[in-house]
Amino acid sequence: MFFCVQVYKDPSKGELPLLPEEHVQDSAKDVTYICPFIGPVRGSLSVTNYRLFFRCTDREPVFGLDLPLGVLSRVEKIGAATSRGDVSYGLACKDMRNLRFVHKEPEDSLKKSVFEVLMKFAFPVSNNMSLFAFEYKQVFPENGWKVYDPLAEYKRQGLPNESWRISKVNDHYELCDSYPAALVVPVTITDEELRRVSSFRAKGRIPVLSWIHPESQAAVVRASQPMVGQNGRRCKEDEKLLQAIMDANAQSHKMFIFDARPSVNAAANKMKGGGYESEDAYQNAELVFLDIHNIHVMRESLRKLKEVVYPNIEDSHWLSNLESTHWLEHIKLILAGALRIADKVESGKTSVVVHCSDGWDRTPQLTSLALIMLDSHYRTIRGFQILLEKEWLSFGHRFQQRVGHGDKNHTDADRSPIFLQFIDCVWQMTRQFPAAFEFNEYFLITILDHLYSCLFGTFLCNSEQQRLKEEVPKHTVSLWSFVNSQLEEFVNPLYVGYPSHVLFPTVGIRHLQLWVTYYIRWNPRMRPQEPVHQRYKELLAKRAELQKRVEELQREAANRTASSSSERAGSPTRSITPVQTFV
Amino acid sequence: MAFCLLYKPVLQFCEIVVNEANFVRKCIGAESCQDDLWGKLVCTNFKVSFIAHNSLPRQCTHRLLGEHDIPLACVEQVVTVNDVKGKQKILGSNQKLKFNPTELILYCKDFRIIRFRFDEAGPESAKKVCLAIAHYSHPADPQLLFGFEYVGKAYNKIYMRVNGVDPGGGLQTPLFDCSSDWDREIKRTGASEWRVCTINQGYFISPSLPEFFVVPVSLADQDLKQYACCFYSQRIPLWCWNHSSGSALVRMSNISDPQQQRKVEQRISSAITKSHPLRSDVFKSDLDKNLPNIQDIQAALLKLRQICVIDSFEESEEKWLSSLESSRWMEYVRTFLRHAVEVVYMLESRHVSVILLEKEDRDLSCVISCLVQLMCDPHCRSLHSFQGLIQKEWVMAGHRFLDRCNHLKRNDKEESPVFLLFLDCVWQLWNQYPAAFEFTEVYLTVLGDSMWVPVFSTFLFNCPRQRAEHSRDFASSKSIHLGQDQALCFPPVWDWSQQFSLKDQTLFNNPLYVGKIATCVQNGTVKTFTHRRSKVSC
Repeated sequence: MFFCVQVYKDPSKGELPLLPEEHVQDSAKDVTYICPFIGPVRGSLSVTNYRLFFRCTDREPVFGLDLPLGVLSRVEKIGAATSRGDVSYGLACKDMRNLRFVHKEPEDSLKKSVFEVLMKFAFPVSNNMSLFAFEYKQVFPENGWKVYDPLAEYKRQGLPNESWRISKVNDHYELCDSYPAALVVPVTITDEELRRVSSFRAKGRIPVLSWIHPESQAAVVRASQPMVGQNGRRCKEDEKLLQAIMDANAQSHKMFIFDARPSVNAAANKMKGGGYESEDAYQNAELVFLDIHNIHVMRESLRKLKEVVYPNIEDSHWLSNLESTHWLEHIKLILAGALRIADKVESGKTSVVVHCSDGWDRTPQLTSLALIMLDSHYRTIRGFQILLEKEWLSFGHRFQQRVGHGDKNHTDADRSPIFLQFIDCVWQMTRQFPAAFEFNEYFLITILDHLYSCLFGTFLCNSEQQRLKEEVPKHTVSLWSFVNSQLEEFVNPLYVGYPSHVLFPTVGIRHLQLWVTYYIRWNPRMRPQEPVHQRYKELLAKRAELQKRVEELQREAANRTASSSSERAGSPTRSITPVQTFV
Repeated sequence: MAFCLLYKPVLQFCEIVVNEANFVRKCIGAESCQDDLWGKLVCTNFKVSFIAHNSLPRQCTHRLLGEHDIPLACVEQVVTVNDVKGKQKILGSNQKLKFNPTELILYCKDFRIIRFRFDEAGPESAKKVCLAIAHYSHPADPQLLFGFEYVGKAYNKIYMRVNGVDPGGGLQTPLFDCSSDWDREIKRTGASEWRVCTINQGYFISPSLPEFFVVPVSLADQDLKQYACCFYSQRIPLWCWNHSSGSALVRMSNISDPQQQRKVEQRISSAITKSHPLRSDVFKSDLDKNLPNIQDIQAALLKLRQICVIDSFEESEEKWLSSLESSRWMEYVRTFLRHAVEVVYMLESRHVSVILLEKEDRDLSCVISCLVQLMCDPHCRSLHSFQGLIQKEWVMAGHRFLDRCNHLKRNDKEESPVFLLFLDCVWQLWNQYPAAFEFTEVYLTVLGDSMWVPVFSTFLFNCPRQRAEHSRDFASSKSIHLGQDQALCFPPVWDWSQQFSLKDQTLFNNPLYVGKIATCVQNGTVKTFTHRRSKVSC
């Protein structure tokens, strides 16, 4: 297919695959890659404005590395040159691997080493250059920037309705620069009142609706922390807003406020002017702390996990080492929090407000996971794209800051694997409900790979406002253009839908697994021994074929009964039953 | 609702009610009793049954057991409690109970723990039903196991005949109880230098070997008879399987006579070498030295059970992974898989025949020889061939299912979940090769559970001879006319229609299975399974 981007073309085969507008910047022969699994490999290395490409031809099978420069978090020279003039370079990657190369220092000291060129193109932002996404000009049959239309999504949820309206108060991002332009708020609250509320919520991130239950009208509302401070400041408009949110749901006279943080941290935030809703001020609301730790704890946990899984695994203490990273424990707490939210909305028919400190890290983790549990639409491929566009991108998860696109400052304390954790949680759910998700594991891995690749514009910038200002949709390609133009790669053959099912995953540690096929995929011994990707495609083809056959037969049967309808009354004219893959 | 109809236990046609108590409460939740069920607790000669008073008739999918039924063979321990007097007693058979129980706790072999409360039940009937359960779950003799009653009655009822107690006749699973099954296996694997040996017909040579097995062509019956006495329990080395390279996999017990050891070993080895097309050497793999013993395996399972169901949830949740590690169960699973990989390497890459050496050749060899064949031979990964494999390497080779399952609860030292460990190893392989096996996780689970339904020939006996003897004795004591049959025809577990409808059996089929044409799991390079799996098994 002409539009198929060969981003992950097998590097062992053929020549350097170049994308439109991709150009080789430098190459070097006689570079040694110190592979932790098979030992030193000599070959040639090329650096383009998009990727690093290493290829070794004098071994069987041919060995190659092909990675987007976006995954690099650090490039550094290790030690001084040896007597033979060899210099060692270490490359730390965002996708759970480290690479090491040895290269002869050029004798001509004026010539730059290929690694100096690499450093320049790996961190374009630090070097005042633009990211490759702004140069890449591939055309796809579908335009992924059109996937998400906020008004259409709210309409799907039945909004606006008699209790909720779509406010234009943030049309020019004046109320809150990290929120989207379209906000859903209770009809009883005026825009003027919303402005007052914005001064009381951290970064102006006021409580607005994320999702509404189609039957009970219980709502999932997201916000940032109230600026209560040490003196217990109150805001009557904020109190009125929360009361209005509760009143919009006739089924319940109570509401729950889920504060994602551990209560100690929430209390400590009062010192910095923040805090949480007091019982006095919000009398019908019950406050629950979900004990999820902050971005720094999560970053540290992933660092430990990388230590445990890369490059070598200590077999005899694998489980206890894994336990000591606390990674699965954090995953558990996030899933458990989302489960409580979904349960309150579904079973308790109660509206909920979710916030953490700023409402752009733990909050989207919780709301988007709860939404996946509650609404089967978000478990389809397009629905999931909408969910990401809405809960993460439009509501200002700070992707630029958390990932550090093109930025060489690898120790930046604002970096954190928040989005990775969310995708991990989704993966855990796909394990527990193998037939409930339209997408497969490869879809999730593809999203994570392009979170770092900087090939597409989707995960660039920190907010909707910034993306508009930089004209990201105009100058870059959306990841969804790429994905939706080859959907068959990403479809789960076991998918059967369950349109009205709410998923309540089990969140005990004993039900969670380490996502080996993501975190340990670089270790050849941990790779799936037998890829099922091809088999999935075969099953999909088989299903389509059988589905067609069923329809044919049914048409035939219908024709037959029509022609001989007088003979038998109870002939088989049942409605079309879809062929369901058996789980 | 048809209340009175439901209120009776569903009995198999030869099942009788031994004792029962009414107004019993079955505890469902651990903390509160709001979900508890009220009903009748019944002990039959087959199962402990609980008939809830107001439960709606649920379409039960299992043909022998209802939703609340526990086969007596699945009961591990019967504990009675009187919480007023603070007394507790573990009950065995024929015991007395000096207090009226307020609670009965059944610890089951399949990790279930089931509690019944007798607050509203008559104290005498409560006591009686507890004693009955304790007594009937400790049968004094194998012939008291329900399978005998079940099969014995079949000879008087047309029902069973129609329903198909047909020991393999209609089944596609080879049982390896006749020489033709072995012939086919020899032909299939191209083991032309091996032959079926019939010297053990009537079990005159070895008590624990099958009547038919396979030996090198170069060994004459006369030699074998002579060597037999040197081996532990007269177990002449058994051929398991041939690799396409001609390397053979053979299992053998220790030679008990030290003076003969060298000579006999040499003869056996040279005969195996002669049967190899390349005349390759023989590699001896000492399983006792390299693998955990049956007591280790049992201890690991007990620890696993402790953390899975006995320790409080919060406590075990916090330290789940490290507790799992310290149970050593996973480590043992890994050890077995790794050892099998080493054997595969010898067969496949070094082209040598391998002898699996184990003192009795009845436990660890079963696991390793099956795993080796599963790894090398795609044929074994279809459902029927997998069943044939278990038939060949476990049932016919004389794995002591009766003792290892401890069906008679007589000797705890002999109890060991070797078969369960094997199933776990298969499950791990299944996870690494999701499209290589015809069967599913459901199938493996159901197969494991079937060990505790004491109806199937597969899991009731220590060896084929024991099965023959017991069924002959039972038939004569009950004046059953066997007719043409040599022994009672117990259904093998492979007759899945005994337990499940055809529709339910479709859950055994793996949709990802690509068929036998799939590449060999090893595929030229030996893949090591030495890396830890992320999944836990329980």
